[in-house]
Amino acid sequence: MNLEKVVFGFFVLLAATLNFGFFIGDIDDPAHHNRYELFAAVVVNLIATVLKFGDRTQIGAVHLSTSLVADLQLIGAALMYGYAEYVSTVGMTPGWTASIVSLSGGALLANIVSVVLLVIETVSFHRG
Amino acid sequence: MGNPLLTFWHDAFGREDDERRARRVALRAAAASAAQASETVFLVMRRMRAPLIVLIGIFAVSVLGLTLIPGEDPEGRPWQMGFFDAFYVMSYTATTIGFGEIPYPFTYNQRMWVTISIYLTVIGWAYAIGSLLALLQDRAFRSALALQHFTRKVARLREPFVLVAGYGRAGELLGAGLDALGRRFVVLDLDDERIDALEVGSFHADVPGLAADARDPGHLAVAGLNHPCCEAVVALAADEEANLAVVMAAGLLRPDLPVIARATSRGMVERMRAFGSPSVVDPFDRFGDHLRLALRAPASYQLLTWLESGPGADLPSRATPPRDGRWVVCGYGRLGRELTADLGAEGIPVTIVEPSGDAGVQPVDGAVAGAPAEVGAEDAVGFVAGTDNDTTNLSLVAAARRANPSLFVAARQNRPENAPLFAAMEVDALLVPTEVIAHEVYAQLSTPLLWRFLRELPGRGDAWAAALVDRLTGLCGRQLQALWKVRLTAVEAPALTGWLASGAARLGDLLRNPEDRAEPLHAVVLVVLRGDEALLAPDDDLVLRPGDELLLAGWSAARRALDTTLVVDAVREYVVTGRRVPSSWIWRRLSRPAAAPEETVPTAPTPSRR
Repeated sequence: MNLEKVVFGFFVLLAATLNFGFFIGDIDDPAHHNRYELFAAVVVNLIATVLKFGDRTQIGAVHLSTSLVADLQLIGAALMYGYAEYVSTVGMTPGWTASIVSLSGGALLANIVSVVLLVIETVSFHRG
Repeated sequence: MGNPLLTFWHDAFGREDDERRARRVALRAAAASAAQASETVFLVMRRMRAPLIVLIGIFAVSVLGLTLIPGEDPEGRPWQMGFFDAFYVMSYTATTIGFGEIPYPFTYNQRMWVTISIYLTVIGWAYAIGSLLALLQDRAFRSALALQHFTRKVARLREPFVLVAGYGRAGELLGAGLDALGRRFVVLDLDDERIDALEVGSFHADVPGLAADARDPGHLAVAGLNHPCCEAVVALAADEEANLAVVMAAGLLRPDLPVIARATSRGMVERMRAFGSPSVVDPFDRFGDHLRLALRAPASYQLLTWLESGPGADLPSRATPPRDGRWVVCGYGRLGRELTADLGAEGIPVTIVEPSGDAGVQPVDGAVAGAPAEVGAEDAVGFVAGTDNDTTNLSLVAAARRANPSLFVAARQNRPENAPLFAAMEVDALLVPTEVIAHEVYAQLSTPLLWRFLRELPGRGDAWAAALVDRLTGLCGRQLQALWKVRLTAVEAPALTGWLASGAARLGDLLRNPEDRAEPLHAVVLVVLRGDEALLAPDDDLVLRPGDELLLAGWSAARRALDTTLVVDAVREYVVTGRRVPSSWIWRRLSRPAAAPEETVPTAPTPSRR
């Protein structure tokens, strides 16, 4: 067992599950989407991205790019959240909530690709 | 390059599409070096992992803590900090900017947490920045950066350049000569310090240099071996194996390029000749040839060394080595062998001395061990101190001079630092191997005409050379200011087209001062190349023809004046015939009716009035 692989798999999977947890629920109901969960998703995604730095293989490169996509979307969602809470005069409306959650949905897709890549890598490692 | 991210980076910022295609066609050697560089970049990213994760973790914990800990607004109502406020506070706190307690004054709970966070985040930042700085100082990383920088500079060269592998003393001299001619060159050397010296050196053009092993074909490729603008490869490393490797790589990868290499042993020369047809420069062989030339024709030798020294050189004094008598050669190394053979070929008796006194190294019959005074320097006429140790050479010269003050003394100088000592000794002939190499390579690279002239010069005899030296010094002084080439074609000399076609274009009429044609131009034509035929040092009566190539030596001012004559019709008319014609179109039109009847009278150009 390789500790590096454990940590790597843990963060990739945790990023996906946190993202999923934030995403699930009615798309326009703020009560279904916890802001702490979004925060955790952003942080764990960033850590997963840094863990993917410096891998020279083709699969490593795709890993990194999926993570960058997820980061981009989640940070976008967090910025929208901040705008709705602090700048917008009407506060968190169902429209804002829907935008934030759909962005995190995009990030979820990227995270799922990441997990699929992880599985492929694991399987091909055992066969090779 | 398997990484799509890097491919994107190159496509977006590198503009290397055509270059990459050329690379694919020519060779893949450069890829090895490029991969080496990107590997280092990956290593850097890999090493930054831990600091970045620590930083993200500390930030996340601090921000989360701030949002969870209850605060209160100015009215004392409970209030919880949002993520944005918390991130804002932590950002300026962690970077030690410290705007204070925003948006409301903190409670003691919050202050305790912020205190802890401050120490955590400062540690995180210090760790991250420290690691980054340590990486920037990293040798491997810096050399990877230098390699990338160098690769980019060489790839961007859009004019012909010479690839110089080995930038020792000889390379430095050659570089200065090439730079004075306005030629570009690229340098590879194993030694960091030599490359640093390149950066502080005062060259007119930027000289890309890389501290790398020239034996690696990848480094040669990065230095422009497969660049379409590379015009020649010069291998001047002190290590002959390295030179052989360069000759090999150039011969196999770019058989069309001329290669000049330094070698001092016969075996090495043979091995180099196996790859294409490199021009091999052996300083000892050349010095032997020069000595033979000096013995036979002192003026030819003087002219040869003057022209080989490059622009700005002073006229060397004319040494007259004695022919009739015995010579003593000290040091039977590579130089000693060459000199003994050359002097023997001239029919001069030679005594060989091995100054080390080691009886084991007496390779020929008749070699004597001992001090010069003991081997009969008294009745010799010539003396050569040719060991590879400067101190020994200097003491040999001093001893020989004491034994026989009228001796002709030649010495070999190995290290450039000792130049003042040899100058103070006032030896009659000085061999500096690195200078011999630099001059030889310079002569081959500067212009093909000069090389042709120098090769044909020894065959012309001593009197001819003496006359040419007199002509040069009479017209241009004792300093060689400029050496340039002129091609009498419609493109380079448009004003001359009609005059050349008339069949009466005397060279003497062309070389006159455009200000006052009674005064000759301070320049001498060394060669006129007509097709395959080279006319050496033609006199004023030579009739020029279209397409002739001229090699001139003289003042820089003469070069500018001649350029004007070649391009401006009115100046050419004045210089050749002495008539002042208007240079503008309108005045020419206006003055034509008056000049027309006069023009019919003299058909041939008027002879120059003196």
